[in-house]
Amino acid sequence: MSGFDTAMVPVLQAVLSGVLVGGVYGLLSIGLSLAFGVMRIVNFAHGDLVMYGMYVGVVASAALGIDPLLALPASFLIMAVLGLAQYQFVFRRFVGATTLNQLLAAIGLGLALQMVAQLVFGVDARSATSMFAGSYDLVGPFFFARAQIVAFVVALIATVAVELLLRRTQWGKSVRAVADNIEAAEIVGLRSQRINLGAFALSCGLAGIAGTIMVTYYPTDPTKGFALMPIAIIATTIGGLGSITGAFLGGIFCGVVQQSTAMLWNSALQDVPLYVLLLVFIAFRPTGLFGGRSE
Amino acid sequence: MNRRRQSLILGAAAIVLTALLPVSGVNDYIVAVAVRMLIFIALGQAWNVVAGIGGLLSLGHGVFLGLGCYATGILFNDYGLPPWLGVWVGALLSLAIALVMGTMTLRMRGVFFALATIAVSLALDQLARHYVDLTGGDNGLALKFLGNSLWFMQSRRPMPFLYAALVFVVAYYWITRWILASRFGLEMRAVRDDETAAAAAGVPVFRTKLLGLLVSAVMTSVAGTLYMQSYQAIDPETAFGLSQAIQLQLPALIGGLGTSWGPIVGGAVMILLSEGTNLGSTKLGIAGVDILVYGLLLLAVVMYAPKGIMGLFNTRARARSES
Repeated sequence: MSGFDTAMVPVLQAVLSGVLVGGVYGLLSIGLSLAFGVMRIVNFAHGDLVMYGMYVGVVASAALGIDPLLALPASFLIMAVLGLAQYQFVFRRFVGATTLNQLLAAIGLGLALQMVAQLVFGVDARSATSMFAGSYDLVGPFFFARAQIVAFVVALIATVAVELLLRRTQWGKSVRAVADNIEAAEIVGLRSQRINLGAFALSCGLAGIAGTIMVTYYPTDPTKGFALMPIAIIATTIGGLGSITGAFLGGIFCGVVQQSTAMLWNSALQDVPLYVLLLVFIAFRPTGLFGGRSE
Repeated sequence: MNRRRQSLILGAAAIVLTALLPVSGVNDYIVAVAVRMLIFIALGQAWNVVAGIGGLLSLGHGVFLGLGCYATGILFNDYGLPPWLGVWVGALLSLAIALVMGTMTLRMRGVFFALATIAVSLALDQLARHYVDLTGGDNGLALKFLGNSLWFMQSRRPMPFLYAALVFVVAYYWITRWILASRFGLEMRAVRDDETAAAAAGVPVFRTKLLGLLVSAVMTSVAGTLYMQSYQAIDPETAFGLSQAIQLQLPALIGGLGTSWGPIVGGAVMILLSEGTNLGSTKLGIAGVDILVYGLLLLAVVMYAPKGIMGLFNTRARARSES
């Protein structure tokens, strides 16, 4: 262990583990940020779709004998379809402004989804086995769970893909146009409802991917959705509400803060600094680190 | 008969009926349900001030409920301080937290305030679970029972709490009425309906929002003390958990946001529904159905009756007077 002080090893280990965990927090957050950026919808039920995504992984591995990683496309599609239904029945009427009623509707929807999961899958924690479960890699003095490395890579690919989709394709351009100015977009002939529907489905599909990749190293139960929401919300706010890359980096930031707190202070209080950080960001930098929408 | 007299008569009748409940020969279970109903009405009235009149969505009002409960309980158990004094410590703590939270977030758009209230309740949840010596951790805090005593606000039977809670509901009703009729209430509603226009008309927007939050926080915390005395125990999930936060919101939402009667009607409906589903689900052997009911209720109210039960009344009354 030449080159650096051995006392620094636990700190660096915490930071590196934080980056890996945080990448997946980022994946949880980009869908949330997309729905907010385009439609001003804060979807508190997003976490519950992540939870359903986790169960897709469980069902694939336990009932069908398929590796959860191979179930990723199916999970994306199922959650996207669920997202279409959510948009049509609930969120359609709330597009354009984050209102009290919109937040409450999302919470109500989330509770109902959670309860349905409980009736179908029961309250016990379930996990899925993927081909990388239980293998670890040693890099110098550091060790990493391989499942987490794979999850980080998937999160990174998804983030880059969504950014490219929004920036480089015709559809992405029309989504951004509707997000910027819905009336002007309609005047030039864009059909905003259809575009919003697509963006919302994409947002929910991303939740599915996040869940299915997460369940390869983190067991699920019906309350996991709401349990994951706070961190996704904090990552999205710190990254800048509405920004995709911002949400991903915000997730990594949260992961590093959380893992460092757990390592250096107290793992039972690992999220407390994040809650304080959220307040600090809201008070002093509501646009987040990477300049989201603040109006 | 005008509406003022109508509501006066209805109110007097409700008070007399509730007060006569213990002497009517019903068992303690029914009285306990009535106490629960009145306490949640009072908590709903407190939330209604900030969210109904002020339009600020506090998703974490459990913070103030929890501070009221824990402050009273810890001071009593560890220092023998009677709740008559503990209640003010809880209220001061709630005031302080509301002041910090409000100052940091109320200059921004409403969504940030909503997110911040969640963060604060989750932070208190983790802290309460961790500092076991002070709070009892996950298992919660149980009041030491010293026997029936007015000085320590303790009673084996629920009857005294019925009268205490009734006093709360009547007092909070008058506070709500007073706020609605005052200049402060008018300014709060102006800010709720159109912040920019209110500011242009000279309303001090930030100060109005902050004051609304402070009033509501203290009301919740004081009612929290009553909650603690009546239930004699509190734990992190009950204080800061999501389903509690929703139970604090539902009375005003079901009954009608921003109205003086809304939380009263809504709280009664919520507790009856919750007791009904609990009975039903124990018979069927399914746990947690009340969560599903709360979720669907929340969804139904905000989508189909955003003005609550009082809203249905008012539109019907208006339609009748117009025809």
